[in-house]
Amino acid sequence: MIGLILKSIRTGSLTEANPFGRHAAFGFPVMDFSRCTACGECVRACPTAAIHATQPTPERAIVSLSYAACIQCRACVAACPGQAISVSTEVEVCAHSREQLSQSASFDVDPVTGMGTFRQIEPGAGPSLADAAANLKARIHGRLGRSLQVRQVDAGSCNGCELEIAATTNPIYDLERFGIHFVASPRHADALLVTGPVTRNMETALRRTYEATPEPRVVVAVGACGCSGGIFGEGTYAAIGGVDRVLPVDVYIPGCPPRPQAILNGLLVAMGVREARYSPRLEGA
Amino acid sequence: MTSNTASVSAALHVPEGAVRDHHPGELVLDTHADALPDLADRVSEQLEGRLLSLFATDDRARTGAFGVHQVWSLPRLQTLLRLSASIDPAAPSFPSIAQKHTAANWFEREVMDFFGVRPDGHPNPTRVALHDDWPGGARALRRDFPDDSQVPREPGDRHPFRPVTGEGVFQVPVGPVHAGIIEPGHFRFGVAGEPVLYLQVRLFYVHKGIEKRFERLPWRHGLFLAESISGDTAVGHALAYAHAIERLAKVAVPPRAQALRVILLELERIYNHTADIGALATDVAFTVPASRAQALREGLLRTNDRLFGTRLLRGTVAIGGVKCDLQPEDREALRSALRAFEKEFDSLIELLVDSGTFTDRVDGTGILTNQAARDLGIVGVAARASGIDADMRRDHPHDAYAGLPFKIPVEDGGDVRARLMVRAREVEQSLVILHQVLDRLPDTPCAASVPDHLPPGASALGWVEAWRGPCTHWVATDERGEVARVKVTDPSFLNWPGLVHAVPGNIVPDFPVINKSFNLSYSGNDR
Repeated sequence: MIGLILKSIRTGSLTEANPFGRHAAFGFPVMDFSRCTACGECVRACPTAAIHATQPTPERAIVSLSYAACIQCRACVAACPGQAISVSTEVEVCAHSREQLSQSASFDVDPVTGMGTFRQIEPGAGPSLADAAANLKARIHGRLGRSLQVRQVDAGSCNGCELEIAATTNPIYDLERFGIHFVASPRHADALLVTGPVTRNMETALRRTYEATPEPRVVVAVGACGCSGGIFGEGTYAAIGGVDRVLPVDVYIPGCPPRPQAILNGLLVAMGVREARYSPRLEGA
Repeated sequence: MTSNTASVSAALHVPEGAVRDHHPGELVLDTHADALPDLADRVSEQLEGRLLSLFATDDRARTGAFGVHQVWSLPRLQTLLRLSASIDPAAPSFPSIAQKHTAANWFEREVMDFFGVRPDGHPNPTRVALHDDWPGGARALRRDFPDDSQVPREPGDRHPFRPVTGEGVFQVPVGPVHAGIIEPGHFRFGVAGEPVLYLQVRLFYVHKGIEKRFERLPWRHGLFLAESISGDTAVGHALAYAHAIERLAKVAVPPRAQALRVILLELERIYNHTADIGALATDVAFTVPASRAQALREGLLRTNDRLFGTRLLRGTVAIGGVKCDLQPEDREALRSALRAFEKEFDSLIELLVDSGTFTDRVDGTGILTNQAARDLGIVGVAARASGIDADMRRDHPHDAYAGLPFKIPVEDGGDVRARLMVRAREVEQSLVILHQVLDRLPDTPCAASVPDHLPPGASALGWVEAWRGPCTHWVATDERGEVARVKVTDPSFLNWPGLVHAVPGNIVPDFPVINKSFNLSYSGNDR
């Protein structure tokens, strides 16, 4: 017993005063569309179709990059022959819709060579980050104060996201100091923290958990699979896909898996304490 | 003919030449389905074989038949043996071996669920993988079943739980959504007051169609899928998949890559074991060591991040080698991080085993006897905690393990304490291994070149002793060299019946700590 107390005193507090702002060797890919020729190498290299290309007419191509589906595998960076894809070291990425996590650019295609020339960044669909944040605030934050009770639901994950969610409770990140607490029942929860892909076999349980959560409720989708189905795809016989295929999602935290600080950041965005201030649209625009 | 093919042929009473050397350390015997039970008996009795996997293939387009395959570990001969038989699609069934070889129980039922090929004589031929609302005819792993099929939900209770009757006897349903941050599964306890009479588990809530998905993805992308079979075993499954592809394509992995793979696998082992030890403390509400273990684990993950740019070691394994390297200064940084870890880890274990309040909860709790573990075909940490001396790193050496001296800790208790101590001692051995490898990193490239196409109509096994136990992948290609079938066996699939066996007789409040002492993967099991 004495040993235990001494040990605790000697250890002191391990909690990091500011868990944010730590950069990673690899956050998400950033495309410099002005150097891109729409050659399609990155599209073929991407295992989750996070980068995909369409050619609506023979003279026009559209290339888009979605962080919702990115598993941070770095294959695109290596595949690009024109070094148009670089690495962002920021990991605290978070948004209020799938569209806000994706960026598209259009290209004029030379019919002879098939090479594309960058024309413009396409405007994104849906509300902007600021509008979506205002909507969430209007719906939720009048009722929720400075605390968030969270029920975590694994709706099909590989358990990688669970490892990092669990890490947010360790003494280093210590999410409880922000007023965030994991609760045992959805009936005690303000927010559901859902990892995916939502499987066919978890769909009913996920819906029931949502129904058991009192209003107003926030749904936070975690991980590439929770945001988009990830490597498992969407609409397969077993995997329905992203959480938004089943429930309305308020906050998306992409990554495979997102780091603890990114999850913490996303939860604080759901609380209205931090703003989802990062958008890939700002990068190339 | 090698000595192994001769001795296996003799033990199985089959003509010389029937057992083929398929790849190094991997024998194949093509046989008739009716011969499977006798062969399984002889493999188990004469060759001390242990069943690692059992699965089906849909070869109707190529040979007009289904295939049923058993994969056995023959540790004495340091070889794996695959027994394969073809099944007539007109009468899709095969003789069950589950009555005698309990490890085959779930495997055979899974074959029935996903292929519609019945195990004749199975003692309990009910669904294991399919939930009640699956229509009977949806055979997801048949080749003619499109992966984007929308399977309708059918009402009905095809698979009721075993009832309990008697005064004061009742059922406790738990899950699939649990109280903690863990994966989904349903547990149904039959209890008389606090003591558990029996436990039934229903899994496959996180069935994501991974084996089908492998058939759809290009084989290079399959590596990323393998990393996501069970997120805590990213290196283990990625390596097992890479091994299978490398053996299939006859790619020789350079020695430096083999050594780095050992480093990655051991780093995965120690971070998981440390987390599990902390979680055991959490589950008995012993918060000081629980916090210490969480902090230690975070330190390990940050070391991973510094050295490899990834906390959970995703994206480190390549087909043909590794995608990372360790320069001399990185190696020194890792050595010093490990030395600091070791000191803290030793004091953590001391704190636990010296505390009566802790040992009271774990000693004699959740006992899986040696006999039960043998009968059920338990593997990995759980097997070694029940006195079974088995470890793929020694029995079927892969990567750079063949030349490394290390001990394999075995405990006899079979209880939570034994599973804790196996983990603690394995961490010690991992540190021994890591220091040895770090001191002698061969000077070669980190990856071999890999051909653009896989050979057509080929197959190979890949295996790894990951932190939880053996991960086995069997990969087969079609006539165009595309992936036709990947069978993934996570150690959890073999070990869930062990948990079911260890719980009865204990009290409900001890279930979390027993469950955590096995710490099985739902995702790896359900795939």
